[in-house]
Amino acid sequence: MRRFRTQDSGFKIFIICCLLSIFSFLSFDAIALTAEDIVKRSQEAFFYQGKDFKARVMMKLISKGGQERIRELTMLRKNYGDTGGEQKYFIYFFQPADVKDMTFMVYKYPARDDDRWLFIPALNMVRRIAAQDKRSSFVGSDFTYEDVSGRDIEDDRHEIIKEEKLSDKDCYVIKSTPKAGDVDYSYKISWIDKVNYLPLKEEYYDKKGELYKIFTADEMKDIKGFPTVTKRTMKNLQNGHMTEVVFIKVDYNIGIEDSLFSERYLRQPQRKWIE
Amino acid sequence: MKRLRLVEFSVDHPKLIVAITIFITILFATQFPKIKIDTNPKHMLPATSDVRVWNDEVDRTFGLYEDVIVLGIVNEKGVFNKDTLKRIKGITDEILKIKGVASRDVNSFTTITNVTAEKGTLRVAPLMTDIPEDDKEIEALRKSLLENPLFLNRIISEDGKTAAIYIPLEKGANGKEVADRIREMIKRQKGDEKYYIAGDPVARDTFGVEMFKLMAIFAPMAGAVMLIVRYFMFRDFFLSVTLMMDAMISIIWSMGLFIGAGIPIHIMASMSPVFLMAIATDSIHIFNEFYFRFREVGNKRTAIIETMKAVGRPVRYTAAATAAGFAVLLIMHIIPVKVFGALVAFGTIILRFLSFSFIPAMFMFVKEEKLAEAARREDMEKGSSRFLKRLAGLGTFAPEKTIFIGAILLLISIAGMTRITVNNNMVEWFKKKSEIRVADNVLNNNLGGSSLAYIVAIAPEDEDMKSPDALRYLEGLQRHLERLPEVGKTFSVVDLIRRINRVIHDDDPASERIPDSKEIIGQYLFLFSMSARPSDLDSLVDYPMKRANIWIQLKTWDAQAMRNVIKAVEEYKRAYRTSLEFRPAGIAYFNLVWNDEVLWDMVKGFILALIVVFVILSLDFKSIKWAIVAYVPLLFTIVLIYGVIGYTGKDFDMPVSVLSCLSLGMAVDFAIHFVSRFRQRLKEQALELGVQSSAAGEAKNLVTRHSSPVTDALLWTAARPGKGIMRNAVLFASAFSVMLFAPLTPYITVGAFIVSMMTLSALMVIIYLPALITLLQGWLLREV
Repeated sequence: MRRFRTQDSGFKIFIICCLLSIFSFLSFDAIALTAEDIVKRSQEAFFYQGKDFKARVMMKLISKGGQERIRELTMLRKNYGDTGGEQKYFIYFFQPADVKDMTFMVYKYPARDDDRWLFIPALNMVRRIAAQDKRSSFVGSDFTYEDVSGRDIEDDRHEIIKEEKLSDKDCYVIKSTPKAGDVDYSYKISWIDKVNYLPLKEEYYDKKGELYKIFTADEMKDIKGFPTVTKRTMKNLQNGHMTEVVFIKVDYNIGIEDSLFSERYLRQPQRKWIE
Repeated sequence: MKRLRLVEFSVDHPKLIVAITIFITILFATQFPKIKIDTNPKHMLPATSDVRVWNDEVDRTFGLYEDVIVLGIVNEKGVFNKDTLKRIKGITDEILKIKGVASRDVNSFTTITNVTAEKGTLRVAPLMTDIPEDDKEIEALRKSLLENPLFLNRIISEDGKTAAIYIPLEKGANGKEVADRIREMIKRQKGDEKYYIAGDPVARDTFGVEMFKLMAIFAPMAGAVMLIVRYFMFRDFFLSVTLMMDAMISIIWSMGLFIGAGIPIHIMASMSPVFLMAIATDSIHIFNEFYFRFREVGNKRTAIIETMKAVGRPVRYTAAATAAGFAVLLIMHIIPVKVFGALVAFGTIILRFLSFSFIPAMFMFVKEEKLAEAARREDMEKGSSRFLKRLAGLGTFAPEKTIFIGAILLLISIAGMTRITVNNNMVEWFKKKSEIRVADNVLNNNLGGSSLAYIVAIAPEDEDMKSPDALRYLEGLQRHLERLPEVGKTFSVVDLIRRINRVIHDDDPASERIPDSKEIIGQYLFLFSMSARPSDLDSLVDYPMKRANIWIQLKTWDAQAMRNVIKAVEEYKRAYRTSLEFRPAGIAYFNLVWNDEVLWDMVKGFILALIVVFVILSLDFKSIKWAIVAYVPLLFTIVLIYGVIGYTGKDFDMPVSVLSCLSLGMAVDFAIHFVSRFRQRLKEQALELGVQSSAAGEAKNLVTRHSSPVTDALLWTAARPGKGIMRNAVLFASAFSVMLFAPLTPYITVGAFIVSMMTLSALMVIIYLPALITLLQGWLLREV
């Protein structure tokens, strides 16, 4: 029954997308999207797809010298509101081996600091983790928390600098400049697919105006009608560090219960969600 | 006598010779714009050398930076006030924007990762994100800095008066340029704070640049002084200029050749103009003899050819000895040492070639009346010649006494030599009051130290570094190393684990220790890596947890300090057995290896040069006996100088090692001139005397110690070629005394060394050769 429904909603979205694209093609000038609109749609497509989401995430952290660290985890997400709104994340670690059973939970709020909790199995202890910096590394990778869960749209000034093709896909090229100075980059250029609004590439420029990080979406799959980036890379050009992320077992709208996001399940996560 | 044909050709076609010389000089001079300068002393070891390969590997494994600048901020009233903190934040922000700075890993109050627990919440974040608003917040900041062993003596001094910012540089960035940008910026700061910039890259790059700059100032200055002194010696401006040109031409030819060949000029090679200028002064013997001859024969052309006949042989052999002394450097390992040796050897050969062509040709342009006027002063019974005769008399008339005194001096010097330490300290190449030395002192006195070393601990298996045993071993080793007076601070993953353990357990000081299980340690590290900057952990352990890196801050740049650290590690390993292996790395270790490799290479070269010079002496004199005698003043001079170096506590460092080779080449010149000319004189005298004695018949009875052919010849040699030697020495000494006023100590060393060496070796030759020859005449002159 549920399976049928999700297919159904996927189909609806597909129709809407088709209509939208035809519509925009017909009267392009009339309803030209603003940069903010594009960024919002991109966030929706990239971070807020579905009611909830689950994936087995394989992260490969590669140092300049070619040494590798592996992170294997299950990530569960549930939306509480529209695009840009509240979200909850639940993360269970499989690898590295000595952190097996470690769990991590994030309540993400727009325009305020996240709440984060970590369960340390060796001490059988749950600790709240302060999270004032959304630009800090996500589990030691080259991705930041913002790269995983999205950045507040109002935090940047956005402008369309051009439209161009990127590997045969028509893209908007958006420049986003943070309004506050306490961010690790001075501006970001994003190539956003005009069809599905997924970011295909992002370039981060540092305070000296030099290119310093590059995000690329390397593989896209349609899952339950949701275009999903299943392989992505973030490369830090300055320290030569790189993180490759592959999503396997991706699923949407699986009906994650609110109770999952609690200290009890942090200590003892249910198999059915994490496997 | 092939060379003399060249002399004759030159005096017959002076214009042609001068024109050709100038043409070739211009040709070589056109190569100069292509010059490639390498001011980095580090590059004296090739990139493939073990230490550089290993250091690169360590840098890669732990994501470390080769070069780090340290900015010290001192406020005598303490840095914990709103204004100073605001300035620290402002300066840090500015530094992050400087090109060449690895901004992501700058460690300052506002960027350094701090692990704390506040009301049950674990916080891994930069220490000071906002400026504290009130006294309460300032007090909290003070506490979190001073009570955290990860920060104490690293970014804050114990008295809270000195804060530090560690500024890592991207590969290839120029430390001096970054330091200059920082200097500009801090100049704009108001307030009571004082700023100090230190660190190896600043010293190294500043030194490299200054060295070249000074070369551009002091080489011409030394040249100018020589020009003036020469003028006073010969009262002929034209000839003074000729000698100057002689040196310049050889410098341009040899440098031009090397630049044209695309060889980069390192610091060491940058000193070669001064060396060539020094070696060029040997032509003074030609001038010296020329004026005596001119006075005797009165004809320019004849005087030149006769002069060249008389001094040609010693001039050739001194050139051979000097060139050989430098050429042996060619078989050393270190490329800049080879380049330096080749450059000077080549220049020396050019110089001698010029002596037989260009110089005689130039004589032809001088008016005879002027020569006559100058030559009139060259009287062997007057002035300096009389003084020299008296000096030589010491050795000639009281040889036993003279040698006895010499032997005592020699013994004392040898005792001094044993005290010499081979050491190099780049910061000490700057004067005590220089900005760099002062900054270094301030940071070394107030914080852990500005010189950085690593000890890399290597476990047999992956994951081993998470074991409590391994970490406790590191902890013990750190405490052991901290007992060394040179070690200001050590820092490793151990400190981090202890800190996390304390913070996790509600900031309980009793929990500041290594936990008991591998799992806990693994999870702590993971927890930390989740929030911290990647480099925070990467700089301490490698990915497979097989290697750990202990950071060691040293309070001195002495190579010796690192040697002591390595020794202490070995001691500890002997006392407490472990499966861990330890290997040193880092800039301090590099300096130690550099010190050993470069300096020992020079020492080896020096010893080899000693042997080669002896062989050349034997060939020149066609007698090993004479070679031994001529060798004595040389050895004596060197031993005496090293004896003094030993007593003054001056280290045997790079400048001294380079000079050793020069000293050899120069000191032997005097002996060659003296012995060659003495033997020539003896032969001439024998002819004269032979005629006389056969006529008088009683001449033999007249031969006493106070008047014998040997004595006469010795005194004559001291007065005439001896004057050339003395002139050479004075010229040298006066030119190089200019360097005593240079702002870099290597220059002062060069100046002092050359001045004392020239004076000493001239004295040794004039006093001790007569003494030795007088004593050993039976043995020496048997077959003569």
